[in-house]
Amino acid sequence: MADEDETKEYRWESGYEKTWEAIKEDDDGLLESNVADLVARAKRKRAALKATGAIQLGMMRHLFVVVDASACMFLQDLKPTRFLCVLKLLEVFVHEFFDLNPISQLGILTTKMKRSEQITVLAGNQKKHIEALQQLKDLSCEGEPSLQNSLERAMNGLKNMPAHSSREILVLFGSLTTCDPGDIQKTIKSLKDNNIRVSIIGLAAEVRICREIAKKTGGTYNVLIDDYHLKELILNQVQPPAVVGSMEASLVKMGFPGGTPIVNDGTSDSSADHAPAYCLCHIESETSSLMGPNGYNCPQCGSRYCELPVECKQCGLTLVSAPHLARSYHHLFPIKPFIERVQDRETTHCFACAKPFVEAETNVYECETCNQIVCLDCDLFIREILHTCPGCASDPVTAQMKTN
Amino acid sequence: MLELKRALDAKGHCLLEMPSGTGKTTTLLSLIVAYMKAHPLDLTKLVYCSRTVPEIEKVMEELRKLMNYYEKEMGMEQNILGLALSSRKNLCIHPSVSKEREGKVVDGRCYSLTASFVRARHAADDAVPICEFYEGFDAHGKEFPLPPGVYNLDDLKEYGQTKRWCPYFLARHTIIHANIVVYSYHYLLDPKIAEVVSKEISKSSVVVFDEAHNIDNVCIDSMSVKITKRLLDKCSNSITILETTISNMKENDSKRLEKEYKRLVEGLRDATIARETDMALVNPVLPSEILEEAVPGTIRTAEHFVAFLKRVVEYIKTRLRVQHVVQESPAGFLRDIHTKVCIDRKPLRFTAERLASLIRTLEISDLTDFSPLVTVSHFATLVSTYTKGFTIIIEPFEDRAPTVSNPILYFSCLDSSIAIKPVFNRFQTVVITSGTLSPLDMYPKILDFHPVIMTSFTMTLARPCILPMIVSKGNDQVAMSSRYETREDTAVIRNYGNLLVEVAAAVPDGIVCFFTSYLYLETIVSSWYDQGIIDQLQRHKLLFIETQDAAETSLALINYIKACDNGRGAVLLSVARGKVSEGIDFDHHLGRAVLMFGIPYVYTQSRILRARLEYLRDQFQIRENDFLTFDAMRHAAQCLGRCMRGKTDYGIMVLADKRFSRADKRSKLPKWIQEHLKDTNCNLSTEECVQICKRWLRQMAQPFSREDQLGISLLTLEQLQSEEMQKKILQRAQGV
Repeated sequence: MADEDETKEYRWESGYEKTWEAIKEDDDGLLESNVADLVARAKRKRAALKATGAIQLGMMRHLFVVVDASACMFLQDLKPTRFLCVLKLLEVFVHEFFDLNPISQLGILTTKMKRSEQITVLAGNQKKHIEALQQLKDLSCEGEPSLQNSLERAMNGLKNMPAHSSREILVLFGSLTTCDPGDIQKTIKSLKDNNIRVSIIGLAAEVRICREIAKKTGGTYNVLIDDYHLKELILNQVQPPAVVGSMEASLVKMGFPGGTPIVNDGTSDSSADHAPAYCLCHIESETSSLMGPNGYNCPQCGSRYCELPVECKQCGLTLVSAPHLARSYHHLFPIKPFIERVQDRETTHCFACAKPFVEAETNVYECETCNQIVCLDCDLFIREILHTCPGCASDPVTAQMKTN
Repeated sequence: MLELKRALDAKGHCLLEMPSGTGKTTTLLSLIVAYMKAHPLDLTKLVYCSRTVPEIEKVMEELRKLMNYYEKEMGMEQNILGLALSSRKNLCIHPSVSKEREGKVVDGRCYSLTASFVRARHAADDAVPICEFYEGFDAHGKEFPLPPGVYNLDDLKEYGQTKRWCPYFLARHTIIHANIVVYSYHYLLDPKIAEVVSKEISKSSVVVFDEAHNIDNVCIDSMSVKITKRLLDKCSNSITILETTISNMKENDSKRLEKEYKRLVEGLRDATIARETDMALVNPVLPSEILEEAVPGTIRTAEHFVAFLKRVVEYIKTRLRVQHVVQESPAGFLRDIHTKVCIDRKPLRFTAERLASLIRTLEISDLTDFSPLVTVSHFATLVSTYTKGFTIIIEPFEDRAPTVSNPILYFSCLDSSIAIKPVFNRFQTVVITSGTLSPLDMYPKILDFHPVIMTSFTMTLARPCILPMIVSKGNDQVAMSSRYETREDTAVIRNYGNLLVEVAAAVPDGIVCFFTSYLYLETIVSSWYDQGIIDQLQRHKLLFIETQDAAETSLALINYIKACDNGRGAVLLSVARGKVSEGIDFDHHLGRAVLMFGIPYVYTQSRILRARLEYLRDQFQIRENDFLTFDAMRHAAQCLGRCMRGKTDYGIMVLADKRFSRADKRSKLPKWIQEHLKDTNCNLSTEECVQICKRWLRQMAQPFSREDQLGISLLTLEQLQSEEMQKKILQRAQGV
């Protein structure tokens, strides 16, 4: 709660809030229950948004992020400027993106002066993207953006990606106008034909063409209210989207490099695996390149990498570790939303955190499978972070069933 | 609905203001149809008058939906016939005639193919062309009424094609027994047309005037005549044609003229029992006693009448030869015409009728050439019939170009109640409705009637989807106003420009601006150009300007829509009271913001207006200033209303003039706008306005689903039946 307050704008910047209008007295003339109810409802609403049923998800994503760098990105309605704020949030996004979608790739484009520029190519290395984003901070924002040019460019990059991956474009659009060389409707059509989903986040107001693009290509269109909301909107894009129609299923070749022990005892593995070598992620930047025994070797060609997941630069194999794949797993089987119940006298403690239920909180939550009852905070924690129900996991029967 | 029901029960007239896009048409239609079903004896017919053809079509669509619903729920065919009627131009299916563009030409050609004498001639000689569709209708169509259903203009045409009947005459014939008729105001208000089309509509009908905020002007226009010098020259030509035809006919067929003479002696009443197609020329509202009288002897013979006409035309010509502005009453005019050219009042009264009869007798089939003469004859009849409520103004030149001699005679109606009076008297219930009727109490005064119900409704909305603001000063604190004293001030113009630029930078897609006049628009744009504001503006959006040329304006509109559609964004500069401000909707992204630069007062130096103001003051005790403000505010509201066309729509309304924040102006805005116009938004500077816009636009851009509306502006059946809601409804019903 505390950090939420920090991200709010200053009092003199915000409008009048008629906080008293939302409050109503209950039958005893008390406000307490009402306030608690309000808080709980807001929390549940957010959680409910995320709980979607199990569908086929595009786990392997190819995403282009288009950042508007036109003159209007210098406006200061997001602090310090729109552009810096967006870049900052994008860093977080890139990090989260690779965390949750380890086998995906990302590229960054900017658009200004009616043109579009490529900052990074589609790649699976998050360090490079973050570095590029940090360099972007010095870029001067000028001119008008061009939606069409940037979409065309992103489309050219995505066109040749394999059919089993989900192709996406995320546009962060601050301007209210776009300066296009031709008919944008044609671009929309070819985007649709290529099965590319375009999601747009507007930074100022609803622009119709953006809504149209998002609607026609099956993406989402959102407009922020403040920077906190923007963060939420950007991070929403981290979740892999549901697949539209049926994508062809195919086997993807992947490499699982063995872990390198920090202390090399030289007995268990062959010595060649841990011979000191330059890692390929840093070989281009001379200063930071390290020669050492640590890192992961590609099982196919033997190149050394210091971080996973990554796409092998030599042979193009996707290198991941098993936990990465496991982490993407919960997207496929999200836990079912818990049922809201009125608190009865029988259960006095939350199953998860073992705290006694407070009088003020009238609602508790029950898991459908194991019938354990948890409090609101635990419900949210399970949904957002754990992704498993502690009740089901601790019960041998249901835990067994789930793995089956 | 409740109010409407009360009005229907009371058999009185009512005045309803409902915001656009809230289902005004559906509400009216469904209640009146239900009432017709429940009390078939009290209420037999609904006459729905709208303004333009697209609006008529929209009403028909609503009606069709309603009928489909009835059919689905009741499970049987409904015995209700609804149809739309428009001019021949929109309904003609004759292969060559329908190609004509101009309404008058179509009317003329139609007449030349369907008039009774032409058909008689055709019977004798096959070479004379006639319209096969009309023949088809005449032969069979009259016996078989149209099957029940809803017919819009295209349906009628299609029906006409398959049966090979003329859709126009079919529709006109069907009006008599149709339950619901939808057509333009003019069919009811313009006495020249009303006589023909709407004569046989029974008394127990409901008449609805939709979009009726300008109804008084329509009334006045329909009774006013404007005569220019060119028109008079054309009249002289037509008279010569008449003369030659008469002399020809005298040699060949003098019997016919004699017959006509006799008929005229017997009285005009019989003359009017002619065939319906011959009714192309009809007299303006004549008191019925005149029709009973015989035509006075001086104009009974054709030659005499033509000579008489000549004298009238010559007299008007001499009157136009003035060097200064003349204003006189009809009585003064009559006295003058009597002393100068010895024309009495009585024959003048019959001019229109006599001319119609003469044209009939002479079998002149091409009427288009005679329209100037018809105008003059209408003038003659009107001037001699009404002595009150009219004035004659002769201007030797236009105000804009005082050196160019361009004399015009205005015969102007000052009293809008004259044209609408027969409507109020004849029909049991007249409903006047529009999105912008405020202030309501002005209408009963100027139209001279007593409504039983007079209400202004507001919108129930799930979110504040309009944002009216009054911007009174620029960032430099200079007050913004289009007052005469300050309108040329560069500071004011610059502030207006800055306001537009800043709003254009903050608002997506389309913005519509309204100026008070074309002149003002031109001066402002040229000085914006000098100040570099146009350049700044074009960085954000493309710029389009409405001009007085209709073709140019529609081209600008098409491109404006294109620019809004593909995301470039556009600004349209237009004029209040212009074509754009009336009848063109800027819904959703086409009009995210409307800016009103200045208060659109009517041009107060106009003599016609001054005469009208004087008349209103003397007759109805309405102060000049009250009427001017009323007129300005209803146009302002009309302009503002352009951007709101439904519940899911949203739009900003900026009133950029200091004077708007005064109580007398603010209180005259429609209630549904006033409701959202908070005190905090009433005296803003440009910067504050833009700040509010930005925040509001972000809010509006948040997803807005159907669930959010449920329970507030949208009710499910269960919610409607719930006890709480019933209580609320009951409360509201009693409260009113």
